[in-house]
Amino acid sequence: MSLNVRPIMSALLRNRTGAVLVAMQVALALAVMVNALYIVMQRIDKIGRPTGIDVDNVLIVSSSGFTEHYQQVPSIQEDLAYLRGVDGVVAASAMRGTPLSDGGDAEPLVTRPEAQRTDNYNDWEVDEESLHALGIQLVAGRNFRHDEIQPPLTKQDASRFVPQIIVSRALAEHLFPHENPLGKRVFDTLNQSATIIGVVDPIMGSFPSNLHPDWLYLIPRVPADFLGLNYAVRTRPGMRDTVARLIEAHLAQSNPDRVIDSVRSLSYYKDLSYLGDHTMAIYLVTVTALVIGVTCLGIFALATFNVSTRTKQIGTRRAVGARRRDIVRYFLVENALVTGGGVVVGCALALAVGYWLSVQYALPRLNLYYLVGGVLALWGIGQLAAWQPARRAAAVPPSVATRTV
Amino acid sequence: MFAYYARLALHSFGRNPGLTALMVLAIALGIAVSVMTLTVYHGMSGNPIWWKSDRLYTVTMDNWDPQNAYRPDSRLPPPEMTYRDAHHLFDSGIPERKVLMYSSNGVMSAAGNTAPVPVNTRFTTADFFAMFEVPFLYGNGWSSGADSPPQPVIVLSRDENDKLFGGANSVGRTVRWNDHEFRIVGVLNDWFPLPRYYDLNGGAFSPPDAAYLPFNWGVELEQLNNEETDCWGSHPVNNFKDFMNAECVWLQMWVELPSSAARTRMQEFMDGYWAEQHKAGRFQRPRDNRLTNVSQWLRDRQVVDNDNRLLVGLGFAFLAVCLINTVGLLLAKFLNGAPVTGVRRALGASRRQIFAQHLIEVGALSVAGAALGLALAALGLAAVHHLYASAHLGHRGGYQEITHFDSIGVVWAVGLAVVATLAAGLYPAWRVGRLPPAMYLKSQ
Repeated sequence: MSLNVRPIMSALLRNRTGAVLVAMQVALALAVMVNALYIVMQRIDKIGRPTGIDVDNVLIVSSSGFTEHYQQVPSIQEDLAYLRGVDGVVAASAMRGTPLSDGGDAEPLVTRPEAQRTDNYNDWEVDEESLHALGIQLVAGRNFRHDEIQPPLTKQDASRFVPQIIVSRALAEHLFPHENPLGKRVFDTLNQSATIIGVVDPIMGSFPSNLHPDWLYLIPRVPADFLGLNYAVRTRPGMRDTVARLIEAHLAQSNPDRVIDSVRSLSYYKDLSYLGDHTMAIYLVTVTALVIGVTCLGIFALATFNVSTRTKQIGTRRAVGARRRDIVRYFLVENALVTGGGVVVGCALALAVGYWLSVQYALPRLNLYYLVGGVLALWGIGQLAAWQPARRAAAVPPSVATRTV
Repeated sequence: MFAYYARLALHSFGRNPGLTALMVLAIALGIAVSVMTLTVYHGMSGNPIWWKSDRLYTVTMDNWDPQNAYRPDSRLPPPEMTYRDAHHLFDSGIPERKVLMYSSNGVMSAAGNTAPVPVNTRFTTADFFAMFEVPFLYGNGWSSGADSPPQPVIVLSRDENDKLFGGANSVGRTVRWNDHEFRIVGVLNDWFPLPRYYDLNGGAFSPPDAAYLPFNWGVELEQLNNEETDCWGSHPVNNFKDFMNAECVWLQMWVELPSSAARTRMQEFMDGYWAEQHKAGRFQRPRDNRLTNVSQWLRDRQVVDNDNRLLVGLGFAFLAVCLINTVGLLLAKFLNGAPVTGVRRALGASRRQIFAQHLIEVGALSVAGAALGLALAALGLAAVHHLYASAHLGHRGGYQEITHFDSIGVVWAVGLAVVATLAAGLYPAWRVGRLPPAMYLKSQ
């Protein structure tokens, strides 16, 4: 079966403008679609990374003491005792650092004293309940014991370090590649040392947008009153919002020497940190859909126009023996040629845009599977858009040829 | 003639209502998407105090570790200053106005009033209000005499005054801030510069602070910065005094320099101080003392993020697709009407008249497309605003603040719409005027 490409081609060349315009649209649409969807997939991957935390069932309560009478340690004891007694609460802990919130502390750690300090690693102050309260998995070593939780820093000894820490598996792997980190010592800026007693994994720290959001270490210490104090409260599934209302009302009244800054779910912080990625993905998907829609309409309109201007020619062809399906095939092949031309140019354009994005915005280089998928998709869409006009062309009766002039 | 051509255009729309609607829709979508991205971009990249571009400078010095740059991926000095450097430079008499500041958490209550509430607080110096042209509803800022030793005075934002005093003139009344008593000297009027150029550390689109206290209260009450503090070096920082002397950057300094001569003198003053300290063993990195104006500062701090540049590019790519589509449709439509055009040409219409007639048709389409496009853009912006606002649980701040049209944005949008569509219509209108009439008169 011959597709009769030659005569279709020569007919196209005699009336180029419309075809060139459609091909240009297809080319641009391909470049936009492929690159946009590639970026969308990266964002979806980013948002979907494991956090290692029971994000849906954790509340973060932020509390600040502000009077001369305020005493941090008894206040925390009282609050924790209350929180642990609330119906629906699984665990509660006092900590400094808010997971996934895009804000927090980072300090350098090195494996030898006097070594060059180049990286800062995110750290949280935690107590012995924090792992349970956040739902974090300990994969090696042990958790802190209650008697290991150090008293809060004061304005006289704010440089004090701790004897033990727990690290994330990713940070352990970075500091001690291919070694067992348990029992190893690390040093802070003042060369005070701590021993690694446990490893958690998976885990995401306070900065989801950092290159290494999983480089995290946990310090067993009660938060200081001049820094920030959070309670991490884990609730039974479905109880989170009820518990939030209950404890906010109670804590706001229970101690006149402090205020509750906020009671928020951990998913609030997570959503806010990923808001930019989330919106970007929605935006890109919407625009991609619109680009495809408009291109479809363009192809449809050109095909319709071609059919209506060629009614007589179609009639003549039918009169001299062309079957309906020959007519349909003619228009589909014509469409395939135009879309094909656009797709070829579009491939080059998509690659160029992808390369430019990777250089300019340090995005990963375009994955070629996306390009192949985009080419097939646009080609298919082009054929679909031309289908209805082609069917209409096939319905032109042969008698039309004899009617005019 | 215009009226006649307009009537012809209307007639022509009526002949193919589907095709006409399609063209208007394509134009509208292209305009809507590009206007949305441009509006957000414009909101991000604006300089809210452009008229002070050659007067207002932020001061930075590279005090960082000789072995490690402040940020490995940037050649800029730290965006904030140490207490000792800022304190020294602040004593200079060269600037017309000068501000030293940082932001902190506090808890505030009105005497005998409701429960205390957390307030974001700015410790700053007297010139803050005049330098950044902050509008007052009641009272004024404090005088520089109240800076040092610090007087117990406070300025509240309008929102905070509404909360504590129901919007009444509270000047002269007292509030308790972290359990210390302060006298209100001024209440700000609505003030929400976007981006928040004077302090980008707490987020470029965050709301301004609720309370303002003389800078030295921050030091006196040993209040820590709640935005960004970065330290290097291995000296113990056990107390606030250590912190003030450490290589810790946490303060922002702005100066207003009335002339380029003053600017040169200020630069020389900084360089002189640098040389002195360099000799004493500090500042061991290459000399990098900067006076940066607002627009450069916004660029240095990358207020416009890559995603938004990308979206503007995408918006224009989409507009291009829509316009190419429109060119194709117009061409098809005009060529379809060629026999009529042939008759008009044969009856004496010139090429120019044919061109004008079709251009008016295109113009009408473009106006309709632009109007619909602007409406769609407003809807789209409202949707994006809703998306941001719901994630913020109704609190202000963040990108939600820039998802609004401003007047310049609308002018931009209308201009873009009309220019783009007329450009798209030029070729089809020209092409149809060039058709040989005889050929179309021959067939029916």
